[in-house]
Amino acid sequence: MDEAPKITTPAESEVTFWDQHRYLLMVTITIIASICLVVVSMTIYNLSGAAQLDLSRPGYQSVSDKVDDTSDIDDYSALGPVNKTTVEEFTKLYDIHATKAKAVDAFNGDPLNPEVLEFAASPNE
Amino acid sequence: MKLPTRLIAFIFVAALLVSAVSFKDASAQTTLSDEQVQRISNNCLSIKNTLEQLHASDALLRVNRGQIYEAMATKLMDRFNGRLGSNSLDTTGVSLVTSSYRTALTTFRTDYQLYERQLSAALKIDCDKQPTEFHNAIEEARTKRNKVHSDVVALHQYIDDYRSAVNDFFINYERVAGAR
Repeated sequence: MDEAPKITTPAESEVTFWDQHRYLLMVTITIIASICLVVVSMTIYNLSGAAQLDLSRPGYQSVSDKVDDTSDIDDYSALGPVNKTTVEEFTKLYDIHATKAKAVDAFNGDPLNPEVLEFAASPNE
Repeated sequence: MKLPTRLIAFIFVAALLVSAVSFKDASAQTTLSDEQVQRISNNCLSIKNTLEQLHASDALLRVNRGQIYEAMATKLMDRFNGRLGSNSLDTTGVSLVTSSYRTALTTFRTDYQLYERQLSAALKIDCDKQPTEFHNAIEEARTKRNKVHSDVVALHQYIDDYRSAVNDFFINYERVAGAR
């Protein structure tokens, strides 16, 4: 009843730790790579200013449906003749849209004034 | 005994410099009265609500106005300049204004980013526990918002300038065409 000697093939004896756990290694590398890519993309998203234009972010739900996505500026063709008619056509189009662009004096007023925000010093100070 | 004397002198000068810098920083901060601090703490919640509404409405304003300003450049100015160029006409005047307009548009975008970041930073401060820091952050955001308004005024001016440049072009064009 002698125990039979364990026979190992040369290939079996050369299997390393990483050979045995290659799937685990692949999954780990994939997760690390995806985390790196997410960090890079979030950095670009924040630094490029895209974050400030993203009204789908939390806190902007109240205004996200008020975006004016109907760009009604008719393209003026860059090709074609230049004469009195075409220049007048352009100036008419330009005046309409210039009036619209200037209609709102955006970021005017002083809503961040301490008095407006109710924490200004009282007048007797 | 020379080395310790030099060391003491160096420490003394360094201390003076640090004090001067600290004093400069401290003087830049607004000192609030006790009543103001109390008022900020009492109204903390309502102030934050007001600021959050302003934050959202300004973001909407930025998106909507930005689209219009961008379209003015790409759909009107660039197209007209292109048409003049394709007819081998002088585009110096209109191109100059378009270039200035684009620079102003870039400044507007950058200044809005700075303002938005400052307002977001202010909103993160606990106004109940740090009223002075909160006040200073709001004051800074206020300055940056005023800068954004100045950029808008500049853009409106360039829109008018471009119209004048087109007029000048047309007057010149008719004069040249009439002389032929």
